[in-house]
Amino acid sequence: MPRYTIEELLQLKPEEIQPVNFDAVEFKALIEKVKQLQALREEEYQHGHGHFNRRRSSHHHGRPKVNKHKPKVVVDEEGWATFETKTATEEGQEGSNDENSATGSSINGDKKTKSSDSLVQETVKVRPNNKNISSSRPADNRDIISDKQIHGFNAFAALGSDDDDSEDDE
Amino acid sequence: MSVEEVAQKLENVSVSGEPKTVLSDAAEFEVKHPLNTKWTLWYTKPAVDKSESWSDLLRPVTTFQTVEEFWAVFQNIPEPHELPLKSDYHVFRNDVRPEWEDEANSKGGKWSFQIKAKGTEIDELWLRTLLAVIGETIDEDDSQINGVVLSIRKGGNKFALWTKSDDKEPLTKIGAKFKQVLKIEEDGLLEFYPHSSANDRFAQPTIVL
Repeated sequence: MPRYTIEELLQLKPEEIQPVNFDAVEFKALIEKVKQLQALREEEYQHGHGHFNRRRSSHHHGRPKVNKHKPKVVVDEEGWATFETKTATEEGQEGSNDENSATGSSINGDKKTKSSDSLVQETVKVRPNNKNISSSRPADNRDIISDKQIHGFNAFAALGSDDDDSEDDE
Repeated sequence: MSVEEVAQKLENVSVSGEPKTVLSDAAEFEVKHPLNTKWTLWYTKPAVDKSESWSDLLRPVTTFQTVEEFWAVFQNIPEPHELPLKSDYHVFRNDVRPEWEDEANSKGGKWSFQIKAKGTEIDELWLRTLLAVIGETIDEDDSQINGVVLSIRKGGNKFALWTKSDDKEPLTKIGAKFKQVLKIEEDGLLEFYPHSSANDRFAQPTIVL
C-alpha cells in the first residue's frame, strides 16, 4: 500500500498550476454565482430587517405601561377618606339617566338603579381557602356554622322533662 | 484507408504504448506517484431555491488517483475560505457516495470536530486533513477511512472523517491521529457519532477524545 506523509506530499506540490480533467472555470463560476446570490439575499434581509424595521423585542425593556384607573380618594372636612369608584357601567347608566330625566321619567327609578349598583359593588366574593380543600375540614367557614350541632342531648334535662310528666298523668 | 496511413497509425500506437522512462526522454520525463485508491471530490452546493433537493445539490466534481492529479485538482478549485456558507467539500474513496445510506458507510460513523477557525487557517487544516487521508497516514492499521468532509457553516466550520465501522479500538487510534492533524489542543473534544444515530437529533457521541 503506497503511503505518503504530509511532508512528502507537500514536497511533491508543483509550483505551477496544472491542467485538470474537468471544467474548473465552470465550477468556480457556479460557486461565484451562489456567493453573489447569498450576498444579494443578505442585503435584502438587512434592508427588510434593519434597525428601523425591526419589531419591538419583548426582552429589552420593561413591561408595557397600562393605564390603570386608580380609585379617587375624597377626604371630607372631618378627615374621612372615601374611595369613589366609578365603573364604566355606572357612567353609562348615568348618561342614560340623564336622558330619562330629559324625557320626564320618575326620580324613584333613578334611585333604584343607583342603589342596585352600589349593592353589586358591595357584594363580597367569598373564595374557599385552597389549603383546606384536601383536608377533612370544611373549605368554607359558613359550612362549619351550618354543621354545628346546636341542640345537644342532655340526659339530665330529659329525665325531668314535661313529656314524662304528661305520660304519668295519663 | 491507404496502406501508408495504416502504417503511420501503427507507428503512432507503438510509440504511445512504450513506457516513458528517464532514458527515453530525460527532459519530458514524468513520474506519477500513485495513491492507494482512486478518490472522488464531491461538492454540495448551498440551496438557492426551495425546490432543490439534497440529490440536486450534491455533485461529483472530479476524480484523482495520483499525487500529481490531486495537486492539479487542489490548485484549480476554490479554497475553503472562498466557499459560500452551507457548502460542503467531500473527498471519498472510489465510488463511495458521501451519504450514510451508502452501503460502505451504513455500518460506520464519523469523527466530527467543529472549529471556529476561518480564512487561511481553515484552508491549511483542510489541506493537512486531505494529505493525511489520501496519503493513508491517518489510518496505519487498515483502511477504515471512507472519506472526509468539510462543511462551511456560519457557527463554525466542521470537519468529519467518515469510517467503515464503529469499532472502538481502531477508531480510537484514528481519532488520536485526526486530533494531531487538526492541531486540536487538550481541551478540544473530538466526537464519534455512528451513522445509525444520524436521524436522532439529540444523539450523543459514542466515543469522545
